[in-house]
Amino acid sequence: MKIRIDKARCVGNARCAAISETLFPLDDEGYIAVSEVDVPPGQEQLARRGARACPERIIVVEDDSQ
Amino acid sequence: MSETLSPAVARPDHITDAVFYDFDMFADPAYLANPHARILDMHKSAPPIFWTPRNGGHWMFVSHAANFEASRDVEKFSSEIVPQSKIKEMMSKLPPGAPHIPQPLPINIDPPEHTAYRAPLQRAFSPKAINELKGSIRELAISLIEEMKAKGTADFVADVAEPLPVQVFLKMFGLPLERQAAYRALVKEHMENIRNHDTAAIVRRMLKLTAIMKDTILDRKANPKDDLISMLWQTRIGDRETTINDMENYCVVLFTAGLDTVVNGISLGAHHLATNPELQQQLRADPSQIPAATEEMLRRYTFTVPLRVVSKDIEFQGVNLKAGERIMLFLPGADLDAKEYPNPEVYNHKRENSVHIAFGAGPHRCLGSHLARVELQVVYEELLARLPQFSLDTSKPVSFHGGHVVGPDHVWLNW
Repeated sequence: MKIRIDKARCVGNARCAAISETLFPLDDEGYIAVSEVDVPPGQEQLARRGARACPERIIVVEDDSQ
Repeated sequence: MSETLSPAVARPDHITDAVFYDFDMFADPAYLANPHARILDMHKSAPPIFWTPRNGGHWMFVSHAANFEASRDVEKFSSEIVPQSKIKEMMSKLPPGAPHIPQPLPINIDPPEHTAYRAPLQRAFSPKAINELKGSIRELAISLIEEMKAKGTADFVADVAEPLPVQVFLKMFGLPLERQAAYRALVKEHMENIRNHDTAAIVRRMLKLTAIMKDTILDRKANPKDDLISMLWQTRIGDRETTINDMENYCVVLFTAGLDTVVNGISLGAHHLATNPELQQQLRADPSQIPAATEEMLRRYTFTVPLRVVSKDIEFQGVNLKAGERIMLFLPGADLDAKEYPNPEVYNHKRENSVHIAFGAGPHRCLGSHLARVELQVVYEELLARLPQFSLDTSKPVSFHGGHVVGPDHVWLNW
């Protein structure tokens, strides 16, 4: 499973990081630091919750199992 | 509290019946009696985007879809209520030696300048920086709540909601605590005039604020300390150094933006808790649910109404808007839209979609949202931990104010 983030449109709500700081690392100014994350096995649920938490709706989960 | 309706202005030709609705956001009687109940009713009786003839005539964006799209489209919807070019022209005509008139930047400025002006604040208000303040915010909250508790009955707004953000502000800015009385007086004046949108009076208050802060601001330039003012002196705005005028602008925006917003947000939450004893019980039994409860209270009782101006004639979600028209981003409406949140009137902190836009969306997203969340959570935690079951004092009915920051004037509690 992969997460893609439209990094340029991040406005620093940091709601994803409130779900998981490891999956959704922030930079020092509080914006998302990455535009793509490989989700480690077992953390799919956490990744989906983090994506859903984004008020800007710029986080997309690409589920290759389906 | 009853208010006089503002006179209705003439309806322009492009405003059709389908987008016309008479609503005074400062004085609608049903709105002032119970703001969020009135909003739920508006979702049934008013168009999702409408023009009202009150307060000079303006648009209200009520649906979630309209608020979300407009907040993120800074090209069509400008935050420069008075264009920066006009402000610069006005400033250049002031006599030499006239005091600098502080502007609430970066709120009232569009990208790209917005980005440069906001960047230095972004780090200071990041989740990481705010987390470091959590301990001292909790200490402040505890002392205010304990002081209130000793009284047996109290107005939560005056005793906790109002003083907390001022004290947090003084602490972050490294301002002398002995000035607290002066700041409290300014805050009081600010809160008492929450209905009064007289620009000259607002400017006078801003000048009073910068006058009390000026010596501290200048001192931190020469003698930096571990506080926000010192940090802001050391950053750059785009490619230039920070000036005293920039510093005054920053102080004014952070002082005003973080005051009545937090005051009203916490008061609405305390009001909800006071009227829902089962929720109090549930959260006391399991405080780990308080962060989720904080979010749901923000959604259920969203309280800010930011302003935009239409940049050019456009058709937006099927409605014709003309350049220069004012838009109220009615975020309290967005977060009670049944299209986005099924049964929006139901408080449920376990609802499937709990993602609200109480802090706005797009590049102007509330800079202080992380600080506000900590302040709200900590106050709810300490209130529930320290007070026994509390309820509204029915002998003192709650009255509300409308306008750009909606909330109760007082919340008298008994326990």
